[in-house]
Amino acid sequence: MFEKRYLASRFSATLLLLGAVAVAAISAHSYLRMHHPGPDVDRVVPREGFVHKRLSDYFQGLQDTPADTDVYVQEGEQPGGTLLVLGGTHANEPAGVVAAVVLLENADVKRGRLIIAPYANLMARTHTFPQDAHPQTFGFETSGGVRRTFRYGARTTNPVNEWPNPDIYIHPASGQTMAGVERSNLNRAHPGVADGGMTEQLAYGFMQLIKQEDVDLAIDLHEASPEYPVVDALVAHERAMELAAMVTMELEFEGIPIRLEPSPKNLRGLSHREWGDQTDVLAILMETCNASAGRFRGRTGEALVLTGEDKAYDKAAELGRLYVPWESWDKRIAERVGRHVTSVKLLAENLEFVRDDAGIVIEGLPAYTSLSEEGVGAYLRD
Amino acid sequence: MTVEWFWPEGFYTLVMVGVFALASFAFRQPIAVALAIAAIVGALISGNGVPVDHLIEGAFGYLDTILIIVCAMIFMKTVQHIGLMESAAAWMIRRFRVLPFRLTMGITALLMLPGMITGSSSAAVLTAGAIVTPTLLRLGVPPVKAAAAIALAAIYGMTAPPINIPAMIIGGGIDMPYVGFGIPLLICTVPLAIFTGMLLVYPSLKQSAAIGPGGEDKELEVELDRMARVRLTPRLMLPFLVLVVLLGGERLFPQIAPSLGMPLAFLLAAASGLLTGQKWNPMEAATEAVQAALPVAGILVGVGMFIQIMTLTGVRGFFVVSALALPAWLLYVGIATSLPLFGAVSAYGSATVLGVPFLLALLGRDEIVVGSALSLIAGLGDLMPPTALAGLFAAQVVGVKNYFKVLKVCLLPAVVTAAWGILIIIGADWF
Repeated sequence: MFEKRYLASRFSATLLLLGAVAVAAISAHSYLRMHHPGPDVDRVVPREGFVHKRLSDYFQGLQDTPADTDVYVQEGEQPGGTLLVLGGTHANEPAGVVAAVVLLENADVKRGRLIIAPYANLMARTHTFPQDAHPQTFGFETSGGVRRTFRYGARTTNPVNEWPNPDIYIHPASGQTMAGVERSNLNRAHPGVADGGMTEQLAYGFMQLIKQEDVDLAIDLHEASPEYPVVDALVAHERAMELAAMVTMELEFEGIPIRLEPSPKNLRGLSHREWGDQTDVLAILMETCNASAGRFRGRTGEALVLTGEDKAYDKAAELGRLYVPWESWDKRIAERVGRHVTSVKLLAENLEFVRDDAGIVIEGLPAYTSLSEEGVGAYLRD
Repeated sequence: MTVEWFWPEGFYTLVMVGVFALASFAFRQPIAVALAIAAIVGALISGNGVPVDHLIEGAFGYLDTILIIVCAMIFMKTVQHIGLMESAAAWMIRRFRVLPFRLTMGITALLMLPGMITGSSSAAVLTAGAIVTPTLLRLGVPPVKAAAAIALAAIYGMTAPPINIPAMIIGGGIDMPYVGFGIPLLICTVPLAIFTGMLLVYPSLKQSAAIGPGGEDKELEVELDRMARVRLTPRLMLPFLVLVVLLGGERLFPQIAPSLGMPLAFLLAAASGLLTGQKWNPMEAATEAVQAALPVAGILVGVGMFIQIMTLTGVRGFFVVSALALPAWLLYVGIATSLPLFGAVSAYGSATVLGVPFLLALLGRDEIVVGSALSLIAGLGDLMPPTALAGLFAAQVVGVKNYFKVLKVCLLPAVVTAAWGILIIIGADWF
């Protein structure tokens, strides 16, 4: 029999263990919601005319894997060019995701073809990063009063799908060394590897899509932190620079200040670099300004994701630490989505000026001012 | 500081730090538990209730680090059990006893080595520190100075390449890969290790050397005979060789060497201890290792929770931007004082919470050099009570009951360390 003096410690140990089981059950339930969020979360209602496909239709290796994702294709009555739009390469950059969904639910293609993958890396949508304290979801109310909820994920693939990362990641196509965590970053994995890690396979799938669909223009929608230099910017591969310059000027005319950045030739694995180098496509990446993923941010939650209002960033701006005109700048997600949607529309419209017979005409898209004034919910379906 | 800026995040900061101090000092809770309590109270007063999912998510922030520490500790205990560490130390003392300068440098290097490999000052103190202690004391080094020398060498080892976890944490904050840190980290640590060894160890060893190898110190000879009972052969060194091949191969020849990850590399190297022909009990070594690693692992779990709630409530942003608001000259003072002081939570926590914003504030200079220097200064946090991982363990190993006596001796080298770090930051672009 146990001595009496051990009973207290056995009792407290049992209590602690039961407590640990309870905490594990509660937190597991919460995290599993990110894997199985229910039919209303991340729901999309594509506009009539879109055909539903899967990325595994282009690279069968993705079939029945967590990397396989939805792809929607709409073809206009008139022949023209083909435009690919990726949202959600980084799941913690919400305006990129929501802009792709707004395009999917509103675009009426009259000429050419539009292909949209709104949730490019689904494996990044099932978790949030430790110590980032991000909300699991954020949402909008539609004109019909329906709540549309989206997951706020992470920059990289969930470790459940790809773990552990190496200490150093060697980019397969170039041999460039990067921090180990970049192996799980879709925007460092292009052009991908057919039999590589899950994220490399996903990147390979998108490369096959671009080749098989003979894509003329490919756009990767992102967001960046206000303290990073490439914010509110178009980043263009050198062959896409002329088109990007034309659109930059048009955006400025419309009162949307934007920077134009060349795709760095020595930074490998990024969509605009690898798509442009490996295929004939004109590759462009776009960045809006997202305070909710920034290092300086204050109270973190859904409100910050939607409004971008943050007194810590106000103070950082006073100190001259930011790369955007913070005080005079509209930080709401509606404005950021408006930037993306307007830029995509203008890039599509101008494509025929740089590539013969590749014109694309898309109608039905909300104007920048309409999105900014009426909000995102007004352009999401019930 | 205006009231608008202070309220409510400044208030939350005070409450969280206050609750931590109360739980830790007044209620004598373990550091990990005190941090968890402070995190829960911070969430409650900021209107977030008890966010279990956030607390657990934060707790997993250092999962990879914890795995590395536990596996590295198993490796070090293995090396200790097979007699390699004692044998190597005895060889060094016999070979260099009459050469006090070389012996000082050798002992310092030996003390640094486990920290260099594991990235943990505690691992260094509890392994090499424990083994070198009897020799240091036998050679006439006063216990308080021996403890200080062990603690400081362990911190320099933790900071020196190839593994420096605070530098990884700081670099990760600005998406900077842990590549190219080798030379800057050597510049940060080697001069300080030499200085500290010369200050704390060399005078006693010089005096001992004057007695000569054939002197009347028979007790020392008995001690050395005991330590060298296992012959120092290449076979005995197998675990170290395996580790060097696995870790070095991955870094030097990443295209061909398999990427096993540090935890598995340490475990395989430990397993190779079974092939050394020595009798030892692997279960006993592993149990000792896990027991030694648990307090550090617990602290990292608590720090993870604490930082997650700081982020959730806006305290992290308040802290970061307040630090950035310091005028340039005060920024250096802030770095030299707040980084070690915040290390009272842990050097890793200090690197995350303050190291990253300080690096952001200093963007434009050579980021690798600045990150290296910040990791050096953050490492001093392991001397700072209440956690004082390196200092407390060192005092324990040497048998000094009052840690503050050790801390007093550490003060001068610590000030020199902080000053050296600041000098490196100021001159970052000269490298």
